[in-house]
Amino acid sequence: MNPKVKEALDKSLALIESSVDPNKTYLEIFGKGGIFTVLAGEIKNIEPQNRAAFGRDLNSAKSQIEQALHIKRSSLVVSRSSGFIDITAPGKKQKIGHLHLVSQAIEEIVGIFTKIGFSLQSYPEVDWDWYAFESLNMPKNHPARDDWETFFVKAPASSRYGNQVLTPHTSNGQVREMERVKTFTPRSPKGEVGPIRMLNIARCYRRQIDVSHTPMFHQFEGLYVDKNVSIPELKGTFDFFTTNFFGPKRVTRLRPHHFRFTEPSFEVDVTCGVCLGKGCRICKSGWLELGGAGMVHPNVLKAGGIDPQKYSGFAFGWGIERTIAMKTELPDIRLFYQNDLRFLEQF
Amino acid sequence: MNITVPVSWLREYLKTDVAAKTLANYLTLAGPSVERIQKHGTDLLLEVEVTTNRPDAFSVFGLAREANTILNFENQKSSLVHPKGLNTKLDPDTKDILALDVLIKDKSLCPRFTAIILDNVKIKPSPAEIKNRLEASGIRAINNIVDISNYVMLELGQPMHTFDFDKIKGSKMILREAKEGEKLKTLDGQTRSLPKGTIVIEDGQRLIDLCGIMGGENSQISLRTKRVLIFVQAYDPIRIRKTTQALAFRTDAATRFGKGIDLEGILPALSRAVYLAKKTAGAKIASELIDIYRHPPAGGPKTIHLSLQKLDQYLGITLEPARAARILTLLGFTVSVSAQTITATAPSWRTQDMNSQEDLIEEIARIYGYHRLPSKLPEGEVINEKESDLSKVISLKEALKFLGLTEIISYSIISKELLALTGVQPLNAVELANPLSQEWQFMRPTNLVSLAAIIGQNQNLHSDMKLFEIAKTYIKNGDNLPTQNLYLSIALQNADSAKQNFAFYKVKGIVENIFEALGREVKFEKPKQNPLFIKDQSADIITIGPERSRRVGALGILSPSITTYFGIDVPVAACEINLTTVYSLPTTAKNYRPIPKYPPVIEDISAIFDKETLIADIIKEVKKAGAPLIKQIEIIDIYTDEKLGADKKSITLRLYYQKSDGTPNAEAVEKIRDAIQIELIKNLKAQIRK
Repeated sequence: MNPKVKEALDKSLALIESSVDPNKTYLEIFGKGGIFTVLAGEIKNIEPQNRAAFGRDLNSAKSQIEQALHIKRSSLVVSRSSGFIDITAPGKKQKIGHLHLVSQAIEEIVGIFTKIGFSLQSYPEVDWDWYAFESLNMPKNHPARDDWETFFVKAPASSRYGNQVLTPHTSNGQVREMERVKTFTPRSPKGEVGPIRMLNIARCYRRQIDVSHTPMFHQFEGLYVDKNVSIPELKGTFDFFTTNFFGPKRVTRLRPHHFRFTEPSFEVDVTCGVCLGKGCRICKSGWLELGGAGMVHPNVLKAGGIDPQKYSGFAFGWGIERTIAMKTELPDIRLFYQNDLRFLEQF
Repeated sequence: MNITVPVSWLREYLKTDVAAKTLANYLTLAGPSVERIQKHGTDLLLEVEVTTNRPDAFSVFGLAREANTILNFENQKSSLVHPKGLNTKLDPDTKDILALDVLIKDKSLCPRFTAIILDNVKIKPSPAEIKNRLEASGIRAINNIVDISNYVMLELGQPMHTFDFDKIKGSKMILREAKEGEKLKTLDGQTRSLPKGTIVIEDGQRLIDLCGIMGGENSQISLRTKRVLIFVQAYDPIRIRKTTQALAFRTDAATRFGKGIDLEGILPALSRAVYLAKKTAGAKIASELIDIYRHPPAGGPKTIHLSLQKLDQYLGITLEPARAARILTLLGFTVSVSAQTITATAPSWRTQDMNSQEDLIEEIARIYGYHRLPSKLPEGEVINEKESDLSKVISLKEALKFLGLTEIISYSIISKELLALTGVQPLNAVELANPLSQEWQFMRPTNLVSLAAIIGQNQNLHSDMKLFEIAKTYIKNGDNLPTQNLYLSIALQNADSAKQNFAFYKVKGIVENIFEALGREVKFEKPKQNPLFIKDQSADIITIGPERSRRVGALGILSPSITTYFGIDVPVAACEINLTTVYSLPTTAKNYRPIPKYPPVIEDISAIFDKETLIADIIKEVKKAGAPLIKQIEIIDIYTDEKLGADKKSITLRLYYQKSDGTPNAEAVEKIRDAIQIELIKNLKAQIRK
């Protein structure tokens, strides 16, 4: 090796050896005026026949220096990163907010029903008596209306649609959805509509308040209308929902019930999450009531301009708060709307 | 409607060995639901929920009949035994025939009126069995005659009333609608002011009966009663319901009359009552039967034709026609089967409820057993179509959560006081005609008052609240349905936000984040009149884009009239955004811009301005003077200090000088910098800081 190169190499290695800042040392060697830079500049003073050998020596020295620098860097990094960290101390978190339990449930419900082709639709929460009752096979003065503790709006009644009401259920969306679907299928052959697969989620209102009722609550309404819709399809839909929402061990059953806008009508039960249907202190009989459902009444289809001879369907409208209470064992539904942040931030 | 039935009583008519629990389970799956089984001495009580369309099952015998059908179909040994005396002869037992003069003013009030007079009655306590059964069913035993009326009502579902015949003045009854202002003291000792149109009976001198609901005290059975009028009717259900609602007074009888009565069940019930009166009170029939039945159902019982194809389509299986027909027969229908159709006529106790094919399908399906039907997901076509904004709202809520906001859901109904805070006049608000209380009287035109209320409610325990709610708001829209737009509302409370600017920029920052998330561009302008916010500390949010600019919301510091109402003494920054409008606008298109090949030169300039000089104007000047080299301007510091002067502020701008064909050289940068500084000094009276 050329002695000048050797001298520069030794000097550089010594510098690296004692270095605490490899970047600074790098500049002292390779930077402007650095040991190696100056040396490399001398190549022009070397006789042409010796230049190749000098160049080789330079390259060899350069790679030795780089190697030494690399080792030095690593050793410094390793010594720096060997300090003690208490991994049990809390991390530095970003402050994240909370969604209301009802919204979390809505998100889940939407996810489940959209997966099987239900489309999200939204209808008024202050609506005409016609959509809330009359078109649902509940003529004026019908005793079935007594079951809904309805709020009325101070407004003149429409000669066609009756009074304005706060919707006591999401079922006002049924005939509205039939009308909506009819408007975009005008090109179909006469009398052909849909199919309809609707999910309507909204605030509802009833004049009652106690541990299981608040004057405002949420419902989700499903409506499925097509040719040849059957009870097994309704059962299949509820089984799909229950498995996904409550878990694979829970099953549903239908009990006979009565609603004016469905025939046959059912009450849908889910097995209790604690005893899975055997009966326990929480559920008494092994079952918890999820909500009402049924095959759409022919009068409702007619009110929506759909021929009940050709079409049938099923519908269900369930309370979201109640569904959550079943899942979380919440004792008092009023907690949802007291807006105590200590409650809301638990979820 | 719930009914409590002692199992021992049920077993008097339902002869079966099936255990009570099994029986309850069968009933629940195929008929009325048994909600609870309770021990009662050595007996068991079933609490049964009977739906309103099944008044026929709202009695011990009715439930036995229903249970017998189900057990028979399930191949369980079971038979039905009728109560004794249903066919008791109603001819007079004495020669001295008494008479009652009956006048029904309006036939529609009372489709069937029956009565009979008994003599020789001995009033005493009922036999133990009757007393025990009544008490197990929740009815207090009084005396043998009164108890018969209650007993037969529970047993057969037919309410009835008994009068002391000697207290009916002039042996006369006039059944009519009550006039304005009439009163009657009922059996429970309450004097009731009767709404006009209530069905009542007077005896020629005074009212003696609040029909279908409760008898009058003046004609009740007493220990001295010798002659009794047993009285069994059906009434117009709508009038009965209207009266019970108006009086807020409901009795077991009224519930039953309100749902409708089996007109053919009236005479058997009367016979049964006479049978029991003879047995337990030594009574003798002392009159002809009075039976005024002028409205037998037109055309006789309804016949329904059920298409077998429709039945199978609903059930999703093929059900043997004979099996379907057997179910209907077990339920008491008269049935015939042809190749494609089942023809069925309902028994008298089911005629009200049986009107269409679907009604028959329900009967067949429930007795067949819903649990026996298969389960499958709908297979039909799925239409991919326009949906509501709900899925977008869900994503937005998630984004807000990760921005650190907590969601509130509060009642959309507010009080008159809260409405006043919104500045919306009651006449323009949506008001409830029948509010539950003064607290819930108007549909809210903005969600912000509710958020402020919640901050007030929680402020003692929380010093840094960032709340939001997404809900419809309601504004009156002439005689049409109210305008119901979906609004996002946000309110921020922070103990340190006494510096109002800090609070304002915090909410503005969130609004800017939100519109980035929503993919729409907006600008902020001086607000129109808005009573929710402090005028000089608020802005309107206006969209920018290819469509006409629209006001989609507002932000600012909430008016002190709102915050102080809720006892909040720090400034609350808030905003509301009309999501219905925002979602109806197209999202801003994002086009590709080439990534610069050469890095920019970045420089900061600090300058002192008058406090009221708008940042927007400063940026405008810099852009103008800096074109085309200035590619980006950032505000990195805004600073006020007494040393600067009370009406001054110091602003630091970060400028990006950039070209597509190389990094700008020092000379070019200097030239532009000078130009910018000159313009700022000249137009905005800036003092450049070194």
